[in-house]
Amino acid sequence: MAQLGDQTQAQLLMRDMGLTSQNIERRRQIVGLEPQDLARIAAVKDLVLGHVEELTAVFFDYLASLDESRPLLNDRVLRERARQFKREHLAAMVQSDYGPSYVEQRVELAILYGKAGLELRVFLAAFHHLLKAIGALVLKQFEQSPLGGFDHFISLKKVAFFDIGIIVDVIVFDRERVIRQQQDAIRELSTPVLQIRERLLLLPIIGVIDTHRARLITESLLKAIRANRAKVVVMDITGVATIDSKVANHLIQTVTAAKLMGAAVIVTGLSADVAQSLVALGIDLEKLNTVGDLQGGMEEAEGMLGYSVVSAGTAPAAIQT
Amino acid sequence: MSVPILKQGEILIASIQSALSDRELVELRDELADRVGRLRSRGVVIDVTALDVLDSFATRTIRGIAYTAKLRGAKTVVVGIQPEVAFAMVQLGLSLDGIATALDLEEGMLLLQRWPK
Repeated sequence: MAQLGDQTQAQLLMRDMGLTSQNIERRRQIVGLEPQDLARIAAVKDLVLGHVEELTAVFFDYLASLDESRPLLNDRVLRERARQFKREHLAAMVQSDYGPSYVEQRVELAILYGKAGLELRVFLAAFHHLLKAIGALVLKQFEQSPLGGFDHFISLKKVAFFDIGIIVDVIVFDRERVIRQQQDAIRELSTPVLQIRERLLLLPIIGVIDTHRARLITESLLKAIRANRAKVVVMDITGVATIDSKVANHLIQTVTAAKLMGAAVIVTGLSADVAQSLVALGIDLEKLNTVGDLQGGMEEAEGMLGYSVVSAGTAPAAIQT
Repeated sequence: MSVPILKQGEILIASIQSALSDRELVELRDELADRVGRLRSRGVVIDVTALDVLDSFATRTIRGIAYTAKLRGAKTVVVGIQPEVAFAMVQLGLSLDGIATALDLEEGMLLLQRWPK
């Protein structure tokens, strides 16, 4: 079951990363894998196939000597699967077929490493160790012509670098995806539009407003106006530390756009400092309907919508918390 | 395609159904200016819900309609501006200053009915 889930996960990841047949072909070109390389690899195929167990052991023994690889090696399930993948990898490496299914296996392995929290540098070191062992085997077979042996080894090494390219890309892509998700979350959180009464929205703005954020704020406000059929919006800028002419311009744009959709905007929370600096800068806020604080803004908005809040006169003596 | 102009009591409703050429916009303006006086209308609603773009000429013509109607004794409300359109207009610096806007036809009609005679 888990096997199946991971397989589709690898395929999904390949699609997201744009690992298409063309892209894989291009990757082969980048490492310079040519027909004569395939011929040389075929020549050492049996040699590698004959030593799969031994080579796998080299890789994992090296990992075992490093503290950093504990997370992978201490988890028995992950370790066994990684071993299995490595055996398959070694066998596939010499099959001279480096198409999508080969890449899929690499992606799967990379996902496993990512899950186990195996550091890239640790993996690279162990992989290099493995290549050294393969190199030793190849050179031993080509004792008579060391140069030929070197050529064969380099051909294998091209495949190895092809693999490394994929594995590094997968791990980096995975990390970047986390960053992208967090950015989306921050963006969502930073522009909440809240309905506090029928047809009345509250838009609290906190932090720095730049052009990009101003655009997001305007967009989400306009969508909310339509979704909630809002008539009045209270925009509270208590949390905006400084307002310069650019920010003021953004605010005016937001207000104008809301008005085009038939909603009036009340701006609240201009502190004394902000108000003074706006006056000093000579920014014309004539178009903005401003009220000192959020409470005043809410009262004004309720008045515009015909609400009146009346105390029921039955407040308990002590409000329980 | 010319824009149908519907009469609902003292209010005229022009519902724009597809993107209009400059020529059709001018025709709409002339037609509305004529009918406002002839039918003694008190209000004009221009519904742009179906439009996904309002360029500078369209904005200027709508402004023209509103000012003409005002001189003939009617108030104009533009309704149904889409969020994307509103945003694009603001970015381009196009405004409908001095003209009433409302969310949709219903809101626009309410606004005109509440307007003091």
